[in-house]
Amino acid sequence: MEIKKILFVTRFEALGFDALRALLSLRKAALEHVVFVNVIERDKVAMRRGIGYRKKEEIRLRETANIRFIDWAEELYEQGTEVGAYIVVGALVSEVIKAARKEEADLIVIGRSHKSVLEEFYSGSDITELIRRASIPVMVFKPLHENAFVIAKPFQKPLLATDWSPASLKAVEYLMGLKNVVEHIDVVHIASQKELSGSSAMEIQKTRKKHRKNLDEVCDRLAAANIDARSHVYIGNPAKEIQKAAREHGASMVVLGSSAKAAWVERWIGSIPREIAENSVYPTLLIPPEPE
Amino acid sequence: MGKKVLVVDDDPDARLFSVTVIEEQGYQPLEAQDGVEGLKIIKAEKPDLVILDILMPRQSGIRLYRELKTDKSLKKIPVVVLSGIAQKTFLRSQKALTEFGGAEVPEPEFYLEKPAEADDLVNTIRQAIG
Repeated sequence: MEIKKILFVTRFEALGFDALRALLSLRKAALEHVVFVNVIERDKVAMRRGIGYRKKEEIRLRETANIRFIDWAEELYEQGTEVGAYIVVGALVSEVIKAARKEEADLIVIGRSHKSVLEEFYSGSDITELIRRASIPVMVFKPLHENAFVIAKPFQKPLLATDWSPASLKAVEYLMGLKNVVEHIDVVHIASQKELSGSSAMEIQKTRKKHRKNLDEVCDRLAAANIDARSHVYIGNPAKEIQKAAREHGASMVVLGSSAKAAWVERWIGSIPREIAENSVYPTLLIPPEPE
Repeated sequence: MGKKVLVVDDDPDARLFSVTVIEEQGYQPLEAQDGVEGLKIIKAEKPDLVILDILMPRQSGIRLYRELKTDKSLKKIPVVVLSGIAQKTFLRSQKALTEFGGAEVPEPEFYLEKPAEADDLVNTIRQAIG
Protein backbone atom coordinates (compact mmCIF):
# COMPACT_ATOMS: atom_id res chain seq x y z
CA MET A 1 0.00 0.00 0.00
CA GLU A 2 2.23 2.79 -1.25
CA ILE A 3 1.30 6.46 -1.40
CA LYS A 4 2.21 7.39 -4.95
CA LYS A 5 -0.48 9.94 -5.59
CA ILE A 6 -2.17 12.30 -3.13
CA LEU A 7 -5.25 14.40 -3.65
CA PHE A 8 -4.71 17.68 -1.80
CA VAL A 9 -8.11 19.23 -1.20
CA THR A 10 -7.90 22.88 -0.25
CA ARG A 11 -10.09 25.87 0.30
CA PHE A 12 -6.86 27.81 0.90
CA GLU A 13 -7.93 29.23 4.23
CA ALA A 14 -7.85 25.77 5.77
CA LEU A 15 -4.92 24.11 4.09
CA GLY A 16 -1.93 25.89 2.65
CA PHE A 17 1.38 25.16 1.02
CA ASP A 18 3.10 24.69 4.38
CA ALA A 19 0.84 21.70 5.01
CA LEU A 20 1.63 20.34 1.56
CA ARG A 21 5.34 20.87 2.09
CA ALA A 22 5.05 18.81 5.27
CA LEU A 23 3.74 15.89 3.21
CA LEU A 24 6.57 15.97 0.73
CA SER A 25 8.69 13.76 2.98
CA LEU A 26 6.53 11.00 1.50
CA ARG A 27 8.67 11.27 -1.61
CA LYS A 28 11.21 9.16 0.28
CA ALA A 29 8.59 6.43 0.26
CA ALA A 30 6.85 6.50 -3.09
CA LEU A 31 5.10 9.84 -3.58
CA GLU A 32 5.46 11.10 -7.13
CA HIS A 33 2.22 12.90 -7.97
CA VAL A 34 0.23 15.61 -6.16
CA VAL A 35 -3.21 16.62 -7.41
CA PHE A 36 -4.72 19.87 -6.13
CA VAL A 37 -8.48 20.04 -5.77
CA ASN A 38 -10.45 23.21 -5.12
CA VAL A 39 -14.21 22.89 -5.01
CA ILE A 40 -16.20 26.09 -5.34
CA GLU A 41 -19.37 25.46 -3.34
CA ARG A 42 -22.48 25.93 -5.43
CA ASP A 43 -24.05 28.41 -3.04
CA LYS A 44 -21.20 30.85 -3.75
CA VAL A 45 -22.18 31.16 -7.40
CA ALA A 46 -25.72 29.77 -7.45
CA MET A 47 -28.80 31.43 -8.89
CA ARG A 48 -29.83 34.37 -6.78
CA ARG A 49 -33.11 36.18 -7.09
CA GLY A 50 -32.64 39.13 -9.41
CA ILE A 51 -29.03 38.17 -10.12
CA GLY A 52 -29.12 34.73 -11.72
CA TYR A 53 -26.05 32.56 -11.99
CA ARG A 54 -23.03 34.55 -10.89
CA LYS A 55 -20.71 33.65 -13.74
CA LYS A 56 -18.34 36.53 -13.02
CA GLU A 57 -18.00 35.36 -9.44
CA GLU A 58 -17.27 31.83 -10.63
CA ILE A 59 -14.53 33.12 -12.93
CA ARG A 60 -13.08 35.21 -10.11
CA LEU A 61 -13.01 32.25 -7.74
CA ARG A 62 -11.59 29.89 -10.38
CA GLU A 63 -8.80 32.25 -11.33
CA THR A 64 -7.95 32.99 -7.71
CA ALA A 65 -7.52 29.26 -7.14
CA ASN A 66 -5.65 28.84 -10.41
CA ILE A 67 -3.11 31.50 -9.49
CA ARG A 68 -2.40 29.79 -6.18
CA PHE A 69 -2.12 26.36 -7.79
CA ILE A 70 0.28 27.60 -10.46
CA ASP A 71 2.47 29.06 -7.76
CA TRP A 72 2.47 25.81 -5.77
CA ALA A 73 2.87 23.66 -8.87
CA GLU A 74 5.96 25.55 -10.01
CA GLU A 75 7.79 24.66 -6.81
CA LEU A 76 6.80 21.00 -7.05
CA TYR A 77 7.55 20.66 -10.77
CA GLU A 78 11.02 22.04 -10.23
CA GLN A 79 11.65 19.25 -7.72
CA GLY A 80 10.58 16.66 -10.29
CA THR A 81 7.18 15.98 -8.73
CA GLU A 82 4.22 15.49 -11.05
CA VAL A 83 1.32 17.88 -10.39
CA GLY A 84 -2.30 18.10 -11.51
CA ALA A 85 -5.23 20.32 -10.57
CA TYR A 86 -9.01 20.39 -10.48
CA ILE A 87 -11.00 23.56 -9.92
CA VAL A 88 -14.67 22.67 -10.04
CA VAL A 89 -18.04 24.01 -8.98
CA GLY A 90 -20.14 21.51 -7.04
CA ALA A 91 -20.63 19.68 -3.77
CA LEU A 92 -17.32 19.21 -1.96
CA VAL A 93 -17.53 15.55 -1.05
CA SER A 94 -18.94 14.36 -4.39
CA GLU A 95 -16.34 16.27 -6.37
CA VAL A 96 -13.49 15.01 -4.19
CA ILE A 97 -14.66 11.40 -4.55
CA LYS A 98 -15.02 11.89 -8.31
CA ALA A 99 -11.50 13.32 -8.62
CA ALA A 100 -10.04 10.57 -6.39
CA ARG A 101 -11.54 7.91 -8.66
CA LYS A 102 -10.47 9.62 -11.85
CA GLU A 103 -6.94 10.06 -10.60
CA GLU A 104 -6.77 6.66 -8.85
CA ALA A 105 -5.30 8.50 -5.86
CA ASP A 106 -3.84 6.66 -2.86
CA LEU A 107 -4.60 9.26 -0.18
CA ILE A 108 -6.95 12.23 0.25
CA VAL A 109 -5.63 15.12 2.35
CA ILE A 110 -8.20 17.67 3.53
CA GLY A 111 -8.47 20.51 6.03
CA ARG A 112 -10.97 20.41 8.83
CA SER A 113 -14.62 21.29 8.24
CA HIS A 114 -15.69 24.90 8.54
CA LYS A 115 -19.35 24.30 9.15
CA SER A 116 -20.87 25.55 12.38
CA VAL A 117 -21.94 23.06 15.04
CA LEU A 118 -25.60 23.60 14.09
CA GLU A 119 -24.96 23.19 10.36
CA GLU A 120 -23.02 20.01 11.05
CA PHE A 121 -25.77 18.61 13.20
CA TYR A 122 -28.39 19.00 10.50
CA SER A 123 -26.39 18.40 7.34
CA GLY A 124 -23.45 16.39 8.66
CA SER A 125 -19.86 17.47 8.37
CA ASP A 126 -17.97 17.20 5.09
CA ILE A 127 -15.19 15.29 6.81
CA THR A 128 -17.55 12.68 8.22
CA GLU A 129 -19.24 12.32 4.85
CA LEU A 130 -15.90 12.03 3.06
CA ILE A 131 -14.53 9.44 5.48
CA ARG A 132 -17.69 7.38 5.02
CA ARG A 133 -17.70 7.54 1.23
CA ALA A 134 -13.99 7.34 0.44
CA SER A 135 -12.56 3.94 -0.38
CA ILE A 136 -9.02 5.21 0.20
CA PRO A 137 -7.39 6.67 3.34
CA VAL A 138 -8.25 10.23 4.32
CA MET A 139 -5.85 12.49 6.18
CA VAL A 140 -7.36 15.43 8.05
CA PHE A 141 -5.03 18.36 8.54
CA LYS A 142 -5.74 21.06 11.06
CA PRO A 143 -6.76 24.46 9.69
CA LEU A 144 -4.34 27.28 9.24
CA HIS A 145 -4.73 29.90 11.92
CA GLU A 146 -2.34 32.65 12.77
CA ASN A 147 -1.21 30.86 15.89
CA ALA A 148 -1.42 27.33 14.55
CA PHE A 149 1.60 25.23 13.81
CA VAL A 150 2.06 22.79 11.00
CA ILE A 151 3.95 19.65 11.89
CA ALA A 152 6.95 19.54 9.58
CA LYS A 153 7.14 15.76 9.16
CA PRO A 154 3.73 14.24 9.96
CA PHE A 155 4.74 10.70 9.00
CA GLN A 156 7.87 10.70 11.12
CA LYS A 157 6.38 9.59 14.45
CA PRO A 158 2.76 8.51 14.09
CA LEU A 159 0.63 7.23 16.89
CA LEU A 160 -1.42 4.25 15.76
CA ALA A 161 -4.58 3.78 17.78
CA THR A 162 -6.05 0.33 17.33
CA ASP A 163 -9.34 -1.19 18.41
CA TRP A 164 -8.55 -4.45 16.55
CA SER A 165 -11.16 -3.65 13.92
CA PRO A 166 -10.37 -4.74 10.33
CA ALA A 167 -9.73 -1.11 9.41
CA SER A 168 -7.27 -0.56 12.23
CA LEU A 169 -5.44 -3.76 11.32
CA LYS A 170 -5.31 -2.51 7.73
CA ALA A 171 -3.72 0.67 9.12
CA VAL A 172 -0.78 -1.44 10.34
CA GLU A 173 -0.19 -2.71 6.79
CA TYR A 174 -0.50 0.82 5.51
CA LEU A 175 2.18 2.14 7.86
CA MET A 176 4.47 -0.77 7.00
CA GLY A 177 4.40 0.46 3.42
CA LEU A 178 5.83 3.79 4.63
CA LYS A 179 8.91 2.39 6.31
CA ASN A 180 11.23 4.77 4.48
CA VAL A 181 9.46 7.75 6.04
CA VAL A 182 8.30 6.50 9.43
CA GLU A 183 10.93 6.54 12.17
CA HIS A 184 8.96 5.31 15.17
CA ILE A 185 5.38 4.27 15.88
CA ASP A 186 3.61 4.31 19.21
CA VAL A 187 0.85 1.70 19.09
CA VAL A 188 -1.97 2.26 21.57
CA HIS A 189 -5.15 0.53 22.56
CA ILE A 190 -7.70 2.29 24.73
CA ALA A 191 -9.45 -0.11 27.07
CA SER A 192 -12.81 0.98 28.42
CA GLN A 193 -13.49 1.44 32.13
CA LYS A 194 -16.12 -1.26 31.77
CA GLU A 195 -13.52 -3.80 30.70
CA LEU A 196 -11.66 -3.16 33.95
CA SER A 197 -14.60 -3.58 36.25
CA GLY A 198 -13.55 -7.11 37.20
CA SER A 199 -13.83 -8.28 40.78
CA SER A 200 -10.12 -8.56 41.43
CA ALA A 201 -6.88 -6.78 40.63
CA MET A 202 -5.71 -9.92 38.88
CA GLU A 203 -8.64 -9.90 36.49
CA ILE A 204 -7.93 -6.30 35.60
CA GLN A 205 -4.27 -7.09 35.09
CA LYS A 206 -5.26 -9.98 32.85
CA THR A 207 -7.20 -7.60 30.64
CA ARG A 208 -4.23 -5.28 30.42
CA LYS A 209 -1.93 -8.21 29.70
CA LYS A 210 -4.20 -9.45 26.91
CA HIS A 211 -4.23 -6.03 25.21
CA ARG A 212 -0.51 -5.61 25.73
CA LYS A 213 0.17 -8.98 24.12
CA ASN A 214 -1.90 -8.07 21.06
CA LEU A 215 -0.14 -4.71 20.84
CA ASP A 216 3.27 -6.35 21.10
CA GLU A 217 2.37 -8.62 18.21
CA VAL A 218 1.68 -5.51 16.13
CA CYS A 219 5.01 -4.02 17.26
CA ASP A 220 6.80 -7.24 16.30
CA ARG A 221 5.32 -7.06 12.81
CA LEU A 222 6.45 -3.46 12.51
CA ALA A 223 9.90 -4.36 13.81
CA ALA A 224 10.13 -7.09 11.16
CA ALA A 225 9.57 -4.31 8.62
CA ASN A 226 12.41 -2.32 10.25
CA ILE A 227 10.10 0.14 11.98
CA ASP A 228 10.78 0.89 15.61
CA ALA A 229 7.54 0.58 17.62
CA ARG A 230 6.39 0.62 21.22
CA SER A 231 3.06 -0.47 22.70
CA HIS A 232 0.90 1.36 25.23
CA VAL A 233 -2.42 0.58 26.92
CA TYR A 234 -4.58 3.49 28.05
CA ILE A 235 -7.90 3.39 29.87
CA GLY A 236 -10.92 5.62 29.54
CA ASN A 237 -12.65 7.73 26.90
CA PRO A 238 -11.02 6.69 23.60
CA ALA A 239 -10.98 10.10 21.91
CA LYS A 240 -9.53 11.84 24.98
CA GLU A 241 -7.02 9.10 25.70
CA ILE A 242 -5.79 8.97 22.10
CA GLN A 243 -5.12 12.70 22.27
CA LYS A 244 -3.38 12.26 25.58
CA ALA A 245 -1.23 9.44 24.23
CA ALA A 246 -0.29 11.50 21.18
CA ARG A 247 0.78 14.37 23.42
CA GLU A 248 2.69 12.21 25.90
CA HIS A 249 4.67 10.43 23.22
CA GLY A 250 5.31 13.48 21.04
CA ALA A 251 3.41 12.04 18.08
CA SER A 252 3.54 13.76 14.71
CA MET A 253 0.17 12.37 13.61
CA VAL A 254 -2.68 10.12 14.74
CA VAL A 255 -3.54 7.10 12.60
CA LEU A 256 -6.69 5.06 13.07
CA GLY A 257 -9.12 2.86 11.19
CA SER A 258 -12.32 4.58 10.16
CA SER A 259 -15.63 2.97 11.03
CA ALA A 260 -18.29 1.98 8.57
CA LYS A 261 -21.13 3.33 10.70
CA ALA A 262 -24.15 4.81 8.99
CA ALA A 263 -24.44 8.60 8.92
CA TRP A 264 -27.32 8.76 11.40
CA VAL A 265 -25.53 6.49 13.84
CA GLU A 266 -22.47 8.75 13.77
CA ARG A 267 -24.57 11.86 14.21
CA TRP A 268 -26.43 10.57 17.23
CA ILE A 269 -23.96 8.26 18.90
CA GLY A 270 -20.76 9.74 17.54
CA SER A 271 -17.64 8.00 16.33
CA ILE A 272 -14.11 8.10 17.63
CA PRO A 273 -12.44 8.60 14.24
CA ARG A 274 -14.80 11.45 13.52
CA GLU A 275 -14.21 13.08 16.89
CA ILE A 276 -10.43 12.84 16.48
CA ALA A 277 -10.52 14.05 12.87
CA GLU A 278 -12.72 17.00 13.76
CA ASN A 279 -11.14 18.08 17.03
CA SER A 280 -7.59 16.84 17.30
CA VAL A 281 -4.71 19.27 17.00
CA TYR A 282 -2.79 16.49 15.25
CA PRO A 283 -3.02 15.59 11.59
CA THR A 284 -5.24 12.53 11.47
CA LEU A 285 -4.94 9.73 8.96
CA LEU A 286 -8.05 7.57 8.65
CA ILE A 287 -7.79 4.18 7.00
CA PRO A 288 -11.06 2.75 5.69
CA PRO A 289 -11.99 -0.93 6.03
CA GLU A 290 -11.67 -3.17 2.99
CA PRO A 291 -14.68 -2.68 0.71
CA GLU A 292 -17.27 -5.44 1.20
CA MET B 1 -7.87 19.09 -45.49
CA GLY B 2 -5.55 21.38 -43.48
CA LYS B 3 -2.76 20.31 -41.19
CA LYS B 4 -3.82 18.82 -37.87
CA VAL B 5 -3.21 20.81 -34.69
CA LEU B 6 -3.91 19.16 -31.35
CA VAL B 7 -4.83 21.36 -28.38
CA VAL B 8 -4.22 19.69 -25.00
CA ASP B 9 -5.76 21.79 -22.24
CA ASP B 10 -8.15 21.04 -19.35
CA ASP B 11 -9.68 24.52 -19.42
CA PRO B 12 -12.60 24.50 -21.88
CA ASP B 13 -12.40 28.26 -22.42
CA ALA B 14 -8.69 28.07 -23.25
CA ARG B 15 -9.35 25.16 -25.62
CA LEU B 16 -12.12 27.09 -27.33
CA PHE B 17 -9.81 30.06 -27.83
CA SER B 18 -7.05 27.97 -29.41
CA VAL B 19 -9.45 25.89 -31.51
CA THR B 20 -11.09 29.05 -32.89
CA VAL B 21 -7.71 30.50 -33.84
CA ILE B 22 -6.68 27.21 -35.47
CA GLU B 23 -9.91 26.89 -37.48
CA GLU B 24 -9.77 30.48 -38.66
CA GLN B 25 -6.30 29.81 -40.07
CA GLY B 26 -7.56 26.80 -42.03
CA TYR B 27 -6.00 24.10 -39.90
CA GLN B 28 -7.86 21.08 -38.55
CA PRO B 29 -8.18 21.27 -34.76
CA LEU B 30 -8.13 18.24 -32.44
CA GLU B 31 -8.83 18.46 -28.72
CA ALA B 32 -7.77 16.66 -25.56
CA GLN B 33 -8.48 17.63 -21.97
CA ASP B 34 -5.49 16.07 -20.21
CA GLY B 35 -2.14 14.46 -20.89
CA VAL B 36 -3.46 10.91 -20.98
CA GLU B 37 -6.08 11.73 -23.60
CA GLY B 38 -3.56 13.91 -25.42
CA LEU B 39 -1.04 11.10 -25.84
CA LYS B 40 -3.75 8.75 -27.07
CA ILE B 41 -4.78 11.23 -29.76
CA ILE B 42 -1.17 11.97 -30.70
CA LYS B 43 -0.53 8.26 -31.28
CA ALA B 44 -3.74 7.77 -33.24
CA GLU B 45 -3.80 10.98 -35.28
CA LYS B 46 -0.11 11.97 -35.56
CA PRO B 47 -0.91 15.72 -35.58
CA ASP B 48 1.40 18.21 -37.29
CA LEU B 49 1.58 20.37 -34.17
CA VAL B 50 0.69 20.09 -30.48
CA ILE B 51 -0.36 23.07 -28.38
CA LEU B 52 0.24 21.95 -24.84
CA ASP B 53 -0.87 23.22 -21.44
CA ILE B 54 1.09 22.11 -18.36
CA LEU B 55 -1.07 21.99 -15.22
CA MET B 56 -3.77 19.42 -16.00
CA PRO B 57 -5.49 16.46 -14.33
CA ARG B 58 -4.28 12.86 -14.78
CA GLN B 59 -1.06 13.72 -16.62
CA SER B 60 0.65 17.10 -16.84
CA GLY B 61 2.09 18.64 -19.97
CA ILE B 62 5.55 18.12 -18.50
CA ARG B 63 5.15 14.32 -18.53
CA LEU B 64 3.34 14.28 -21.86
CA TYR B 65 6.14 16.33 -23.40
CA ARG B 66 8.69 13.79 -22.14
CA GLU B 67 6.71 10.90 -23.56
CA LEU B 68 6.43 12.67 -26.88
CA LYS B 69 10.07 13.66 -27.17
CA THR B 70 11.39 10.25 -26.16
CA ASP B 71 9.24 8.34 -28.65
CA LYS B 72 11.10 7.76 -31.90
CA SER B 73 7.98 7.95 -34.04
CA LEU B 74 6.59 11.09 -32.35
CA LYS B 75 9.53 13.22 -31.30
CA LYS B 76 9.61 15.27 -34.48
CA ILE B 77 6.13 16.67 -33.85
CA PRO B 78 6.71 20.32 -32.85
CA VAL B 79 5.22 21.55 -29.58
CA VAL B 80 3.98 24.96 -28.55
CA VAL B 81 3.72 25.09 -24.78
CA LEU B 82 0.90 27.44 -23.86
CA SER B 83 0.70 27.70 -20.09
CA GLY B 84 0.63 29.86 -16.99
CA ILE B 85 3.63 27.87 -15.73
CA ALA B 86 6.86 29.77 -16.34
CA GLN B 87 9.26 28.51 -19.00
CA LYS B 88 12.12 28.38 -16.50
CA THR B 89 10.02 26.06 -14.30
CA PHE B 90 9.36 23.82 -17.29
CA LEU B 91 13.07 23.61 -18.07
CA ARG B 92 14.05 23.04 -14.43
CA SER B 93 11.49 20.28 -14.04
CA GLN B 94 12.75 18.52 -17.16
CA LYS B 95 16.28 18.81 -15.81
CA ALA B 96 15.18 17.34 -12.45
CA LEU B 97 13.45 14.42 -14.18
CA THR B 98 16.56 13.77 -16.28
CA GLU B 99 18.68 13.80 -13.11
CA PHE B 100 16.30 11.24 -11.57
CA GLY B 101 17.22 8.87 -14.37
CA GLY B 102 14.97 9.97 -17.20
CA ALA B 103 16.12 10.56 -20.75
CA GLU B 104 17.36 13.96 -21.80
CA VAL B 105 14.75 15.89 -23.77
CA PRO B 106 15.18 18.98 -25.94
CA GLU B 107 13.64 22.32 -25.07
CA PRO B 108 10.20 22.89 -26.55
CA GLU B 109 10.18 24.57 -29.95
CA PHE B 110 7.90 27.38 -28.77
CA TYR B 111 6.75 28.66 -25.39
CA LEU B 112 3.91 31.11 -24.88
CA GLU B 113 2.67 32.32 -21.54
CA LYS B 114 -1.07 32.32 -20.91
CA PRO B 115 -3.09 34.24 -21.80
CA ALA B 116 -1.67 34.51 -25.32
CA GLU B 117 -2.85 37.10 -27.84
CA ALA B 118 -4.53 35.56 -30.90
CA ASP B 119 -1.91 37.15 -33.19
CA ASP B 120 0.95 35.66 -31.19
CA LEU B 121 -0.60 32.23 -31.37
CA VAL B 122 -1.24 32.53 -35.11
CA ASN B 123 2.35 33.66 -35.76
CA THR B 124 3.74 30.85 -33.65
CA ILE B 125 1.63 28.21 -35.42
CA ARG B 126 2.66 29.55 -38.82
CA GLN B 127 6.30 29.55 -37.77
CA ALA B 128 5.96 25.96 -36.61
CA ILE B 129 4.09 24.36 -39.49
CA GLY B 130 3.69 27.01 -42.14
